[in-house]
Amino acid sequence: MASKAIKFLEANESESPSRFVEEAAWRKENASWLRWSRQLAVTLIGYMQDNGMKRADLASKLGVSPQYVSKLLSGTENLSFKSIANIEDRLGISCLVMVNA
Amino acid sequence: MKFARIIPKYNHLWAVKAPDEEVDELTLLFRKWNNAEYLLDFFMENFEDLRSFFKIERLDQAIEDTFEDAGALEELILEFPYTENLDELFKPLDITDTRMSELTREKARNWDRERHASWLRIYAIRLEPNVYVVTGGAIKLSRTMQEREHTALELDKLNRCKAFLKANGVFDQDSFVELTNEE
Repeated sequence: MASKAIKFLEANESESPSRFVEEAAWRKENASWLRWSRQLAVTLIGYMQDNGMKRADLASKLGVSPQYVSKLLSGTENLSFKSIANIEDRLGISCLVMVNA
Repeated sequence: MKFARIIPKYNHLWAVKAPDEEVDELTLLFRKWNNAEYLLDFFMENFEDLRSFFKIERLDQAIEDTFEDAGALEELILEFPYTENLDELFKPLDITDTRMSELTREKARNWDRERHASWLRIYAIRLEPNVYVVTGGAIKLSRTMQEREHTALELDKLNRCKAFLKANGVFDQDSFVELTNEE
């Protein structure tokens, strides 16, 4: 039998269910490629810090929009090899490094 | 104030769902902790704390560490049977209130980080043994919650939720005594 506290929580339950489990499952299912996307994001962030750059500076250097920079920095964007190569060429850095190869 | 059940069909873990937010507090936290752009802004704003309390100068390192800790915390919350033993996972906050608790990665099994303790915190109210309501969380870089605006805000959220639950009679004298006796 549910306790008073559980009954109260159920009576005041949000109409929209939690998405925590669903989103955690997505992160787990997509962990293999998310690892690369995150590595790209932290590499760009390291590059910005080393060069005293802001997002707008990075957008300008890459020749892309600030919105695209936001996507790159989120660490959740599924990019093509061509897009990554373009970033590497523009910045003169390697974005993806094989670990434990 | 509304509450979202975190794991379908299980009663042990809930989170506050604020009316102005699309999702509940726990989902929101993990969205932030898995977004490098959000973390970049956060660590830039709190760079002095990162440097002085954790001796970390690199934003990329801080973000990578956050990703790693968020992953460990996520597993801790979801993995059975561990998630059903929340009293083992949450520890009372050091603010003289045994019903306010926090969960950190240090509770995760196989904790093996050598560099620094985790700065991620999930804040919750313990309604009764093994029943918790998450009110929010923080990247805690300072010693106390009161000394930074973003953690003081989390303390306010804890207090508001507690007041709401109390006003609705969820904390009654019996359950308080039971809790006091138990702890």
